[in-house]
Amino acid sequence: MIPRYQRILFWGLLGGIVAMALVLLRGCEQARERLTRHRDETPLAAPTLSPTETVTLLLAKDSDGSITPFDRDIALPAEPTSRARALLTRLIVEYSGNDSTHPLESGPAVDDVFLLDLPLRPPKPLPPGAEAKTGPDAAALPLAADQPGKLQSSYLQDFSGQLAIVNLRGTFADHHPSGIEPESLTVQSILATLHANFPRIRQVRFLVDGQPRETLNGHADLLRVYPIDATTASREEPQP
Amino acid sequence: MPSPTPAPLLVIAALAVAASSTLVAKSQLTPRRPAPSQSQPQAQAASPINRALIVLDPAHGGPDAGAPLGDQLVEKDFTLAFALRLRAALQTAGFTVLTLRDSDPTVAFPTDQRAEIANRSRALACLVLHATATGSGVHVYASTLQAADAPDPVVSARVNEAFEPVPWDRAQAGSVRQSLQLEKDVAAAVGVANLPLIAGRASVRPLDNLTCPAVAVELAPLIADGQDTVPITDAGYQQHVANALTRALLTWRGHADPALPARPSPPERPPVGGSR
Repeated sequence: MIPRYQRILFWGLLGGIVAMALVLLRGCEQARERLTRHRDETPLAAPTLSPTETVTLLLAKDSDGSITPFDRDIALPAEPTSRARALLTRLIVEYSGNDSTHPLESGPAVDDVFLLDLPLRPPKPLPPGAEAKTGPDAAALPLAADQPGKLQSSYLQDFSGQLAIVNLRGTFADHHPSGIEPESLTVQSILATLHANFPRIRQVRFLVDGQPRETLNGHADLLRVYPIDATTASREEPQP
Repeated sequence: MPSPTPAPLLVIAALAVAASSTLVAKSQLTPRRPAPSQSQPQAQAASPINRALIVLDPAHGGPDAGAPLGDQLVEKDFTLAFALRLRAALQTAGFTVLTLRDSDPTVAFPTDQRAEIANRSRALACLVLHATATGSGVHVYASTLQAADAPDPVVSARVNEAFEPVPWDRAQAGSVRQSLQLEKDVAAAVGVANLPLIAGRASVRPLDNLTCPAVAVELAPLIADGQDTVPITDAGYQQHVANALTRALLTWRGHADPALPARPSPPERPPVGGSR
């Protein structure tokens, strides 16, 4: 025979567990709603009216590994980095449709796109005793045009044009279909679309969540700097 | 009565014997300093290629599972199984096969380490094996590197000792032309086998780090119009692809050195302990 106080204790604890679980679930739902509302509805910039224009998207096709140009009429911001980001966002949206030839999961894919003029030059060494600037002012440091070649990175060589740094979202990379073909097609589609709409871009580098990452999802190399001409010209038709 | 040997002469003789033995031992133990050209990694590649050796790299392994190919199958397990099947077909055709992994390693097996093993083997060809659930048939990729200006950095090293070292990320540049020919041979054999094919160039590690003619071969499910999809786990499909790759490598052996006949050489006995 179980004592009465033990039965009361048992049912009390059980009730407490159920109540805590309900409170926890409700709290999770409220937090998610709050985050979603802030993400979707909080205005970050004043709305601008942009005219619709025709852009070229290079769309990949999984069945034959081809990349084909398609024209789309969309409104894009005038500022180049925002324009490139909007363009790539639209490109990924094309792949998330039901009739996509290169299906990708829907959702945000591109965080930022930065455009830097080439050739990159290392900053001039600071005089002894001077403090190094940090933050946005650091970009205003004088360039060591008279000392090129101090850094041996491949993208610091004598190229003209622009280097585009595409910062992808980690969720996009983690959920991307894994394989050489799907990952390479995504990378080459991005490169070719950037090249078609920003002719000054000569090289592209990828980051994921602001950090270098070895591969997109296990295959396509994201650590290298992609020379955009060579890559877009490297597609070959099947030659049985 | 023999005259006694003077003590100073005995001491001098003993010292001379000790000194000479020390010099001999030192000369045997001290490694010879390599010539300047031998200290470069490119010079090690000057040895002739092994025309019977094929390197197979079953991609992924250990904590790197690769692409999910089904409810219970991941890419690292499939590439290993397919590599063993392809190894058997190649050995039957007379090749010696070096497989970079025979099992699932417990720790990570980085691509740089795989490339180093393959480069030291001086193989006729290196195949990096992958699999995906996207697309159809066989996908073949060569490196995206531009071919080096010099035909071969090793040759230029012999001609001019003041050559510049080849960066690790561009090790394949000297073999890109050969890799593209190997890719064409694979594409032709896959086409003869009536399998869907995608051929191109891709930036996939460790292709750019390999000094041998190298391609990445990726298997996808076989999707034919009006027919059921054949999964990549189908043994018949795998064997069909393995046979096509074997024919391609036999053709490639003829292209690698046109002076020699393209027909397969007599089967060679694998090394003691079997190929890895």
